[in-house]
Amino acid sequence: MSELVQLGAPHDRPRPPRADELNLRFSEQGIHELEALKTHYPDLKSCILPGLWIAQREYGGFLDGAAIAEVAHRLNRSYAEVEGVATFYTMYNTAHKPGKHKLELCTCLSCHLCGSYRLRDYIKSKLGISHGETTEDGLFTMEEVECLDACDRAPLMQVGDQYYGPLDEAKLDALIDQLRNTEGSTVVKMADEIVQVHLRDVERHK
Amino acid sequence: MSLGIYKGIVKPITSGLGITYRRLKHKKVTVSYPEEMREQFPRTRWRHFLTRYESGLERCIGCSLCAGACPARCINVVAAENTDEARYSPGERYAVRYEINMIRCIFCGYCQDACPTGAIVLRKNFELADYHREDFIYTKDRLLEEYPGQSDEPYTSNRKEWAEARADEKRR
Amino acid sequence: MAAATQIETVTITVNDLELTVPKGELIVESVKRLGFEIPIFCYHPRMKPVGMCRMCIVEVGFKQPDGSVRKMPKPQAACTLPASEGMVVYTDTEAVHRDRKGVLEFLLVNHPLDCPICDRGGECPLQNNTLFYGPSTSRYVEIKRHLPKAYPLSKYVTLDLERCIQCGRCVRFTEEISGDSQLAFRFRGANMQPSTFGLMEFESKFSGNVIEICPVGALTSSKYRFRARPWDLQTRPAICTNCSNGCNVWMDYRVDKVVRINGRTNEAINEEWTCDRGKFGHDFYNSPDRLNVPLVRRGTALVETNWSEAYSDCIRAFTSSTNTAGLGGNANSNEDLFAWKKLFNEGFKSNELDYNWTKVAPIADPTHAKPSIASIEDAPSILVFGSSLADELPIVFLRVRKAWFKNGAKVIVAHDQATDADSFAELVLNYQPGTEATLAQALADAKAGKSVEAAAKLTGVPAEKIAAAAAHLTSSTAIITSHELLNRPGAHDALGALKGLGELRNYALNANDQGAAEIGIGTGTKRSAQILADARDGKLDALWLLGVDPFEVCEDHDLVQAALENVAFLVVQAHTKNGAFPYASVVLPMTAPAEADGTYTNADRHIQRFGAVLPAKGEAKPAWKAFSEISLRLKPGRPWFNADEVGRALGAEVAAFANHSFNQLPTEGLPLV
Repeated sequence: MSELVQLGAPHDRPRPPRADELNLRFSEQGIHELEALKTHYPDLKSCILPGLWIAQREYGGFLDGAAIAEVAHRLNRSYAEVEGVATFYTMYNTAHKPGKHKLELCTCLSCHLCGSYRLRDYIKSKLGISHGETTEDGLFTMEEVECLDACDRAPLMQVGDQYYGPLDEAKLDALIDQLRNTEGSTVVKMADEIVQVHLRDVERHK
Repeated sequence: MSLGIYKGIVKPITSGLGITYRRLKHKKVTVSYPEEMREQFPRTRWRHFLTRYESGLERCIGCSLCAGACPARCINVVAAENTDEARYSPGERYAVRYEINMIRCIFCGYCQDACPTGAIVLRKNFELADYHREDFIYTKDRLLEEYPGQSDEPYTSNRKEWAEARADEKRR
Repeated sequence: MAAATQIETVTITVNDLELTVPKGELIVESVKRLGFEIPIFCYHPRMKPVGMCRMCIVEVGFKQPDGSVRKMPKPQAACTLPASEGMVVYTDTEAVHRDRKGVLEFLLVNHPLDCPICDRGGECPLQNNTLFYGPSTSRYVEIKRHLPKAYPLSKYVTLDLERCIQCGRCVRFTEEISGDSQLAFRFRGANMQPSTFGLMEFESKFSGNVIEICPVGALTSSKYRFRARPWDLQTRPAICTNCSNGCNVWMDYRVDKVVRINGRTNEAINEEWTCDRGKFGHDFYNSPDRLNVPLVRRGTALVETNWSEAYSDCIRAFTSSTNTAGLGGNANSNEDLFAWKKLFNEGFKSNELDYNWTKVAPIADPTHAKPSIASIEDAPSILVFGSSLADELPIVFLRVRKAWFKNGAKVIVAHDQATDADSFAELVLNYQPGTEATLAQALADAKAGKSVEAAAKLTGVPAEKIAAAAAHLTSSTAIITSHELLNRPGAHDALGALKGLGELRNYALNANDQGAAEIGIGTGTKRSAQILADARDGKLDALWLLGVDPFEVCEDHDLVQAALENVAFLVVQAHTKNGAFPYASVVLPMTAPAEADGTYTNADRHIQRFGAVLPAKGEAKPAWKAFSEISLRLKPGRPWFNADEVGRALGAEVAAFANHSFNQLPTEGLPLV
């Protein structure tokens, strides 16, 4: 239930921003890509998912209210509708701002039996983070996730689009050291890759 | 002395007095009310009271179910919202007005049955006579008065437990 | 409608009864034809089915060639199941009962069951269905989901997430009916919550409807919160008098106080919806400023008096001069207006009455209001010209949106500002303020194939847009304008140009503006603004204000103030103290609309009855009664005894109202002849 947003006190209830009050932050590239994506679908509603991926990249991996409002504004949908889509899918980070890398540790049955809780505790002692928390240097966020569909490699961890497993403490140490020095598989990079997948060749920026 | 006088006056009087004489050795059933009170049956239902929790908060949540159940339509409840500054009952709602018209009430006890929190109870105080009609409208202040024996009455919403508690009380 | 088309039908069997229904009709609707009941939560006849609550599950099978029935292995949701040939439906079997019990037990797992304090308790579909179809006990002993309660989403709507059963009715309403998409489901699974964006303010002009369609107490009215339980309430049919649409509503009152207004179904007017202005605009009934006794000015002070003295004052002032006038404009019944006119014409020998406050008079052509509101739905294209419908006539806006959403009508919006209808408009013609007539003429020219370049330059609308819009206009196009257009320059020219382009509607804005026009109020030589100007210049000896607060309806406040200060004698007849009250010479208390019998004519000339719901406050009288009593003093005779008699007299005098008196009208009202 951690992802449930606590309701504010009644007097804190603000009104949704007007179109001219939005602080639009999409880069030139983002705007260009979104315009291209808009032409792919008969209905702009269908463009919400790729639009959110662009936003996730542009907003540093975190879809806050401003990011959602910007996507909604650019796609001419209502804020609530886009927020509903964003909060439905777990790969959009709407609950908290993730670190540079997101460590997604499978805690489903196979991984659990093979010791994923041990690894979870190990990460807690090594990096000081548990589910949904980010290290102070902003490098890592740990999340416990449901089955990643690779039980043969249990216990398994997903970082970006890479699976790592079977893992043990030594391999985890090595992985974390490797991630500290790499720019691959970051949350932002993942979002960018997914955006590129949606685009046609001619529409890609680079 | 004619037969008529004997049959018409003497015989009835003596036989009547005979009954009186025979009753003299029986136990007295009348009590000299109001100096003396007769003991009430355990399930006697008379005057209504509104009860409180041990914390002092009212049990009544102003839900109006008693008013809905009342066949005589003698209960009027006006509800309002609790705030943290002015809290009368646990939860969101409390009764800002609670009135029972005792002239209309038929003491059926449906209100007590309907009450989801056990707030309204009917107790044995039966001396409800008064001089003014207005005084028969029992307001919330009057209903919240403590009734005799309230503090040591074990209240629970579970009827079985309640029956057991009553049985315990009796045994003692 | 056009020639009757052959409806393709299929034969299905419901609980062993054969039934022929249109092909593709939803089973949940089909079984209603036989009077069977299927419990529902998420299904709503006016919205697309989604099958979210699973309450409507039935057993379904198909007839095999050998005559046996082969049942589907799993129960089916009747709300998403279209009827097809040979379908066999069972709504009342052991298995269905068991399944319903299971569904309800699941729904109640996370429902807090705080029915005693819930405003929905007593009229709650969840309570009812649980009582009829549900288990008597729950096996769930664990801790229920806990969420903050009673969150005020807006001034009107309170959200209680714990009670939500996630049926999606409110979300679909804002998506499909009102179109503002203010509500959506956030999160998923058991955590799914209907809410606004970031739980911010719920900004909708129709938010009150979600309270009514919510099948539990998750969305409740903030104004009605804890005011009453359903069994405390008495309910009477009523007509909303906040705008000229004349929506049918239920008025719920408790101990003579209106506590709530709910929509009442009338397919010709409002279907079952209400706008927030109507649903929550009933505060004035219980206002402390209500006028209870007649007042007359003695020296500088207004003192309480009796009706007789107040009448004498009025008669003295109004009969000593024929230079008198009357202004109205605030929800008076047809009876009031007729009696008013009668009194002025015959008693006071004056015809200077006006009920309309627009800059130019509406065109006295009843065909402008004749095409019904319901017929908007069938129009292939709709032109909304110079009217912000959602603000002016919210329920007409819903019809236009329905025509677009359901029947694919092409909507063209022409306005000098952004309006709510832009979101679904095919074309938006955003013209420069004041160029209404030019644009209307340009549309007509474009239709006739003439060049519109000059007009395009003047109005700021590209010529190709004008041409594209004109291409959509046919003789069956519904052209919707309102009396707001009459405040713009060249309004009559614009209306004249639009008239040839389709079915023109020029809807009145205030309740019974249309009725006043039909009765013949406003046929004097002076319009409302001129009457006020005369009063300012001291040319008017007496002025009668019927219900209206001129400060509210007239933008020129200086003119109003000067007029009210300078007029020699001012009668203020109103139900509540208004801006004109301090200037009054005589104050006559009047009943508010719900406090007296009366009939009201709405914008599309539909006349409806509004029976008294509440008793009159203090000594207040229906306006027609006061007028009748004054007439009686001027010329002895038989007075009118009730609203029906006034209506019959009106029918005898104005042909349109023949056989439309209070007692002759059916509940759902009648169009005027």
